[in-house]
This record gives sequence, structure tokens and C-alpha cells, in this order.
Amino acid sequence: MSTALLQQTCRDYVRLLGSFLDGELDPPGMLEVESHVSRCNGCSEHVELLRATRASMQRTVRRNAPDALRNRIAVAMNAEVARTQSREARETQLDEQASQERQDRDEKRAGSGLLGWRTMVPLASAAALALFWGAATRGPANANHVGSPEQTAGIGDDLLAELVAEHSQPLPPEATDAKSVRGLEKYVGLPLHTGSFEKGGARLVGGRVIPMRQMRAAMLQYVVMNGDEPRRVSVIVYDPSKIQVNASDLSPRAVGTARVQVGQSKGYSVAVTQRGGVGYALATDMDADRSAQFVARAYDE
Amino acid sequence: MSSFAPENAKPIDGFSEEALTHLDAMFGVACKLTRNPTEAEDLVQDAFVKAMRAKDQFHPGTNLKAWLFRILTNTFINKYRRGGLERSVFDGPDADPLADGWVSANTMRQLRDPEQVALLPMVEQEIQRALDQLPPEFKLAVILCDVEEFSYEEISQIMNCPIGTVMSRLHRGRKLLQRTLYNHALAMGIIKGEEKFGEGVALAHGATGASVAARDGKPADLAAYRAKKRGAA
Repeated sequence: MSTALLQQTCRDYVRLLGSFLDGELDPPGMLEVESHVSRCNGCSEHVELLRATRASMQRTVRRNAPDALRNRIAVAMNAEVARTQSREARETQLDEQASQERQDRDEKRAGSGLLGWRTMVPLASAAALALFWGAATRGPANANHVGSPEQTAGIGDDLLAELVAEHSQPLPPEATDAKSVRGLEKYVGLPLHTGSFEKGGARLVGGRVIPMRQMRAAMLQYVVMNGDEPRRVSVIVYDPSKIQVNASDLSPRAVGTARVQVGQSKGYSVAVTQRGGVGYALATDMDADRSAQFVARAYDE
Repeated sequence: MSSFAPENAKPIDGFSEEALTHLDAMFGVACKLTRNPTEAEDLVQDAFVKAMRAKDQFHPGTNLKAWLFRILTNTFINKYRRGGLERSVFDGPDADPLADGWVSANTMRQLRDPEQVALLPMVEQEIQRALDQLPPEFKLAVILCDVEEFSYEEISQIMNCPIGTVMSRLHRGRKLLQRTLYNHALAMGIIKGEEKFGEGVALAHGATGASVAARDGKPADLAAYRAKKRGAA
């Protein structure tokens, strides 16, 4: 039967029609199939169906990514650039990105519970934290900020406990370079100059905002070489007019012109100092001397 | 939607900038893979961050889009399908349930051109549904080829499989798609069953029970279908 013959022939060709439409046959193959398709109603319809399905699929699948996603990815990629390349200041609009991120989070992502990659997005995370804590103190950062007296309470033990807890079980940093750490200033209301601590060979790992009762402080994380061994150093930058460290367990010590207090807490060495109305509390597992020297670099600012 | 407000974040290096030109394509495919826009966003962002970290491994002058899609594919596999794309029920003995040439030219014409443009949204919705039902390895091959218009060679790199496997996945994926569309059109009464035309091409496996019932019982008429469609939309 001619139909049987046709069917046989078409069955052979049908397998090639997709590749024919994709232009993936070799030139003789393309010619041969084209010649068959031009003569065969069935195969010609098959090609047209494939073509129509493809067009529909393109309309179905293609879409514009949300602007919020585009922004977030740009921020994440920029953070990668900043992390891997030089740390010199570049004219970016990080603050605006952060506020954009904050809006995006507010609108789309709050409570979605998908946290995985967020730790990679320093500013986005900072914005999320700002959200979480509400807008209570969303004022411009001010280095000379003086806390209201009623908030001054003897919660220094909390500070050292918080410090040691944060040091022993650190959360990933929200900001991983000096510039983006400074971007956290507006959330804590304190200057966050990371450079002075790096003068002794320490490397900035990153920073994050930490909640302290009704206020916030910043946690800076460094790695410093102690001989051949890398040691972690955590520094809480806090407002001493609001948070007072209980000094009874600490002993005073002078490092150059710096007045430092050192002590032990839960097996970690802690060191505290103040400079220019800003408090610095450090935890590490190095000895008291090195801890004191490290925190004293706050005076180099 | 794609308009750029001035305050939006701008990529600060050339690589990011070029990579971001493929964001829409990546997002569209990610939506199809995850079937969930929120997960698609996470997947795409993961892929971009990985790409950024691995950008030294990219050879400038080669195909950045294909490279990004490969990262997207691997990220998807690592995140959702730890066993990889290979293992699927469709790779078993019943891997090819559809014979070639199972439907007549007439029916194909009807499928392609359901005589009214008004039915186009239905077709696309149905394509969406049919795509969603495809096993991921077929779906990805078909989308990479038909939507993103990658070459077989590029798809084989993106999916990390031989070109022969690409061709087989494409062929079977497209047939499954047509099959789903055919059954749907049959059930909706948009096309008639094959036996009425009988151009010598037998249905390999017959229509599904549901579509047979719809066809033999009470064929939906077009006007009623459209009214229903409008109601649903």
C-alpha cells in the first residue's frame, strides 16, 4: 500500500524533523529532509506544528525578571566584586541599594523563610535586620551621638556575655569589606572605622549589626595571625553612654596613651576601651597583652 | 517591568554587567524548572553569585550565556535533584511511549491552528501545563533549544551530556508535549479523533480514557468552551 510505504518513509523522516527545524542536520541531510517535507503533507504539517509549538513556548517561558531581583543580584555581585577586588572606595550607591533592598524585602520577602543565600548579601541582610527591629531609631548616623540618660543602665554584664556568645558562635557577617561595614553605621548610630584595627596585621572578615536591648551595636570580626596560627578577634562597637561595662572583673592597663581594661570571660580574653565617645569591647583567645594591644588600636583612629 | 529607575543598583564591573543581560532568560527558565517564582529567584541569584565567584574560569570570547546556563543547571541539580538529571522513570524500558507519526496531518494542522486566534491563550496555557509535566531533563532540553535557541553542542555542554542524548531528550520531550496538547485538544472538542480522518496513520496508543469519554460522550462546542475560558480568565 502506498500509505504503508509513505508511513514507513515518514517515520524515518519524522525523527529528523526536529533537528531539521533546529538547523542541526548536516547540509546534505538538510537538503534531503527539506525535499521530503516539501512533497509530504504530513511531514510538512509536523514541521509547522513544531514551529507553532516553539513559538507558543517562547511566549510562555520568556519573561522579564522582577526589578527587585535584578537589583538584588546587582548588589550581590557588587559585594562579590568588593570582596574579591581591591577595597578602595568606589563610587557606588550602596545606601540607595540598601534602601531599595529594604523595600523589596518589605514587599516581597518578609517571612518567606528562605534564608540560604542571604548571608551573601551584606546590605540586603542589614536591611532585613533593620526591618526586623523596626524603625525605632532609624535616624542618620552621628558620631557624636549621645544616648538619652534613661537608657543608661548597668547592663555591662550583658555586653560581655553577648560579646563572648557572639565570638564563640559567630553568625556570618552581613558586610564583608570596609565600605559596606561603614554602610552599617546608620543602623547602629556609631562610626565604624575598621581600618585602625587592621594596622597590626589583622584582616577584616566582616561586620554585622547586633541587637542590644533597646539599642544596637556592631560586631566586627577580624582574623589576626598569632605566630603561624590564625586567631579570630571579635570587636563589639557600642555606645558607652547607653551600655556600661561592669568593670569590677576587669583590670586596667595602659597601652601607650590608651586606657584599656582586660579580663577573662568564659575562657576568652576580653578587652575594653573607649575612644571619642565610642566603646570597643573585644573577645579573642589570644593572651591579655595582645588583646589589650589590639583594642588599643582604636586610639589610632 | 524592565524599566530601570535611576536609583536602581548598577553593576560595577563589566562581567556583572554582561552577565545581567541574561537575567531575564535565566529567570524564565528557572521559573520553569522550579515552578515557583520565589524559588526561581533564589536559584537565579545563587547561580549569579556562583558565576561571580567562578568568573576566572570563564574564558572571555566564549559563550557567556551558555556558561551561565550551565551554572544555573548545576545549581538546580545540586539544590533540587541531588541524583542529577539522569535518573528518571522515562529513561526506563518505557522510555519511548510515543511512536512517531501517531497523528495525522489534518489533526496536526488543527492542533497548530485551532481555527480561531481566540484560542491562542488556551493553547499557551496548555503548553505551560504540558511543559510543567515534562520530566526536568526533557523540559530543560526543549526550553534551551526552542526558547533560548542554543545549539545542540551548547546544550550538551550546559546539560553535561553527549549530543546524542540531547537529541533524544529533545525528540521525546517534544513528542510528550504534542501528546499532551493533542489529548487536551481532543478532550476540549477542538479536534476530532483520529479515526474520523484515518489518513493511514494510526494512533499508536489511542487517546486517554478521559479524552475518549469526552469525545464519544459530549463533545464540547467551541462557543461553550470560549465562554468557559472567559469565565475562568
